[in-house]
Amino acid sequence: MDTVSPRIRMSVLGVLVVACFVALFARLWYLQVMESPQLVGQASAQTRRTLAVEAPRGRILDVKGRVLVDNRTSLVVGVDRNVLDKIKDKDAYASSIADVLTRFGTPVKTATIQRRISTQQYDQLHAVPVATDVSQEVMIFLSEHASDYPGLSVTRQSMRVYPYGMAAANVLGYVGRISAEGLKNLTPGNDPDTGKPKIYGPDSYVGLAGIEASYEQDLRGTPGVESIEVDSENRPVRRVDYTEPKPGNDVQLHLDIDVQLRAEQALSDKLQVLRGTAQRDGAVRGAPAGSVVVLSPVDGGVIALATYPTYDPAEFAGGISQDRYNELLDQNGVSALVDRSISGQYAPGSTFKLVTAVAALEHGLINANTYYNDEGVYYVGDPPRPFTNSGSVKNGGIALPQALTVSSDVFFYWLGDRMDGTTDIQDTAGAFGFDAATGIDLPNESAGYVWTAADKKALHKKYPDAYPDGDWFTGDNVQLAIGQYVITVTPIQLARAYAAFANGGTVHEPHVAWRVLRSDALPTDEGGILRTIEPVVKGTVALPPAVRDPIASGLAGVTTGLGTATSAFVGFDQSSFKIVGKTGTAQVEGKADTSLFASYAPLSQPRFAVAAVMEESGFGAEASGEVVRHVYELLAEQPLTAVSTATQGTRD
Amino acid sequence: MFQSSISQRSSRLSRRDPTSPLRHLDPIILGCTILLAIIGVITVYSATRGAGPNYSNTYLYKQGTFVVIGFGVLMVFTIIDYQKLHDWAWVFYGITNLLLLLVISPLGSSTNGAQAWFALGPFQLQPAEFAKISLIGVLAFMLSEFRGDIDVRRTIALLAVAGFPVGLIMLQPDLGLALILTVVMMAMLLIGGIPTRYIVVLTLVGAVGVVGALNSPVIKQYQQDRLMAFSNPEDRSNPAVYNISQSKLAIASGQLTGQGLFQGTQTRLGTVPEQQTDFIFTAVAEQFGFLGSGLLLLLYAALCQRILRTARVARDQFGSLICVGVLAMFLFSIFENVGMAMGIMPVTGIPLLLLSAGGSSTITAMAAIGLVLNVHMRRFR
Repeated sequence: MDTVSPRIRMSVLGVLVVACFVALFARLWYLQVMESPQLVGQASAQTRRTLAVEAPRGRILDVKGRVLVDNRTSLVVGVDRNVLDKIKDKDAYASSIADVLTRFGTPVKTATIQRRISTQQYDQLHAVPVATDVSQEVMIFLSEHASDYPGLSVTRQSMRVYPYGMAAANVLGYVGRISAEGLKNLTPGNDPDTGKPKIYGPDSYVGLAGIEASYEQDLRGTPGVESIEVDSENRPVRRVDYTEPKPGNDVQLHLDIDVQLRAEQALSDKLQVLRGTAQRDGAVRGAPAGSVVVLSPVDGGVIALATYPTYDPAEFAGGISQDRYNELLDQNGVSALVDRSISGQYAPGSTFKLVTAVAALEHGLINANTYYNDEGVYYVGDPPRPFTNSGSVKNGGIALPQALTVSSDVFFYWLGDRMDGTTDIQDTAGAFGFDAATGIDLPNESAGYVWTAADKKALHKKYPDAYPDGDWFTGDNVQLAIGQYVITVTPIQLARAYAAFANGGTVHEPHVAWRVLRSDALPTDEGGILRTIEPVVKGTVALPPAVRDPIASGLAGVTTGLGTATSAFVGFDQSSFKIVGKTGTAQVEGKADTSLFASYAPLSQPRFAVAAVMEESGFGAEASGEVVRHVYELLAEQPLTAVSTATQGTRD
Repeated sequence: MFQSSISQRSSRLSRRDPTSPLRHLDPIILGCTILLAIIGVITVYSATRGAGPNYSNTYLYKQGTFVVIGFGVLMVFTIIDYQKLHDWAWVFYGITNLLLLLVISPLGSSTNGAQAWFALGPFQLQPAEFAKISLIGVLAFMLSEFRGDIDVRRTIALLAVAGFPVGLIMLQPDLGLALILTVVMMAMLLIGGIPTRYIVVLTLVGAVGVVGALNSPVIKQYQQDRLMAFSNPEDRSNPAVYNISQSKLAIASGQLTGQGLFQGTQTRLGTVPEQQTDFIFTAVAEQFGFLGSGLLLLLYAALCQRILRTARVARDQFGSLICVGVLAMFLFSIFENVGMAMGIMPVTGIPLLLLSAGGSSTITAMAAIGLVLNVHMRRFR
């Protein structure tokens, strides 16, 4: 034995035992008591996930409170990604799902299911949606046979529903899944109660068109918050916390769905009657498209906004296929997704004579009694080039009111000639709000254009091939006077100009939306109205009686007697509801004419401004005049008449 | 009456018999062992039942079975007089070394890069675990024969006897078990009376050997990761760092009182890799907090103290050395395993004896406790 005794060696071992346990206790105390507060947060962070639960969007109501866009619950079949990853024969799995769905009323192809389950867009926490809007039977069957269909679940999802079908689709718009760009750029609105932003997530649905898009901040609901626990492989285990989503605010429109339906019906009926027929000069009417605008001259509220062709927003509710989308982009050569009432650009033709007349009177070129001898033709330039009336009609000695009533082009060629070298017509057009977007609360509005000599020169300089001529000729000014060639307007601009004339010169920014309401309260409740969209005055046109009266009387004659639109208003009782308007027939190279009619009514106290523009449809009165008349029948509470099958009306 | 007197006489192992060694059974060692084994079964179940709602019972039944078998083995190792085991020490040693040779032959099966198991149906037999007992036995035999008279030749003989199984285990490779055997040997040599200067020399040689091994290709990538994780705990690309940080998070979330049985989020959600085996301590710590895991450490401390006491009071040096070997085995396993879970020791695959899931280690631990009980109750004669 060595110098060190066994007793001491055993004691070393004893000390070692004590030392080891003291060290372990100390470390345990440090980790569980001293350092624990910092680490606990980290620990729970790695097992908690917070998910946003999309809230139902607010509803869209018409002026009388009728629901135009509502929500319904759709049953969506989803596949749990975690289960999916473990399934070996994915093709058999997909075909078993397709079988069940098809058997219970949702016909779907195996290939479609295969495509959907192979998308990588969804993470493990979100079920991969394979079918929307399945029947109740599917849900019951799947819950009874859960073990045969691993990972399949049926969840409820709020979807848009349109009680009036396709009506006002262009105004209402549609919703769709948010894009990556939208997720980055969209500014969320705030919850009316908490003031907190209604944050977007990758699963959010957003308004992509119409009111859905322009009032996105109001319509979007406040997402609920679901806190779930996940395991180490990020699979959801259980719900820890849940805050209910809150529906968005309702948006009430100025739009009257009855008027809207009437305008849409009249427009589409008349286009169908005209399509394929020949106008007077032999050109065949394509009548592919058109639009009707009904505005309130009082505040610029949009009462109806019809466009043709249009689409069914319900098709977008559950996601639209690319094929169907392409089909909508080409309906008889035109897109159903374009709202022509705010983005169609047309030569206004004679409807623009309102502007020319105001310019001429305002600058003292003529007064109400200045006569000019209309011989059916007007010569401009050197060598003289003839500009004729429609059908070379000779109107004889006429003053402004008659010139408007019978739509004398020659009278206005004369005014245009006299204003050549000035920008008087362009300036007045600008005052009426042409040449700039109206600022209507809908996306994708166009502005149209009213060229000046300077504009024409600048265009030529910039695009010499497309605009070979940079000089402004007297002929240009003469054409401008009757709304041709150097000008385009949108139907909403046209209606607004007539509304401004009707109300004495106030140019409003048109508004479709009237007010924003709490979804859980009545407008009459305190706090039920979250905000009212106040009328906005964009500008004014000076219309002293010397300017306004002769024009008003001339336009009032358009729908009676010698007026160009008399044929369209036969049988319409104007004794208490006098319609003031102007026909327009804009020539389009190689096609049938654009038919226009712009108006307001009643004369004494204007409440409505109505304009219609129909592509390749012929004279103003025979197409648009009649459509506007059908709209007025409803507005004036007169008997509603059916579309006329006549395809030949009066001139201009 | 007649029958009972017969039975009293026929069995010298009855506690009613005043001459029976069973009267001197250490209740603290036995109690601690039973408690720890029960805590082990429950904790293993809590760490393996899954997140629900359908829970898995596989590990519960498996570990329960191991504990029951383990108690059978414990009883055998308690009841047979350890003096008889003295005679069989070399036999055990021979058998385990044969098994260690066989396991690295094609007969053995390999998991996680170590060829350490015999596949027996649903169970795996890990002969290296049994090597712990046989090495304790044979070293106790040799050292008690030497009676403290140890020269260089004898030292080399002892080292060779211990080195053979250690070498075979390194071939699997199983660094953790090799380490335990080495520590057991060191402790037994120390108490067995090896001269102090040899200890110094051995320590130096050992240190050089460890440094040499670490820099040689013998060390595998995962072993290197584990050691690097200890020296460089900020390296997130190291999987062992992830293990340690998950382990520490789970322990910390237990806080003072714990989240409650089956309530521990990290345990329930399986965020700690290998929780039912090497990191079983985290499951105790998270669910039962400082109070629970502290109590667990106290049980282990009591166990170690009683084994040390048994070593002191043993009738002979053979018994005493057995207890020292078992104590070294327990103490090192506990300190290394719990220390690793708390980030104060490097990661090695050493189970927490009596707690970690695993048949071979549980049964070995029970057998070792059985030996200590054996020595304890036969301390007077």
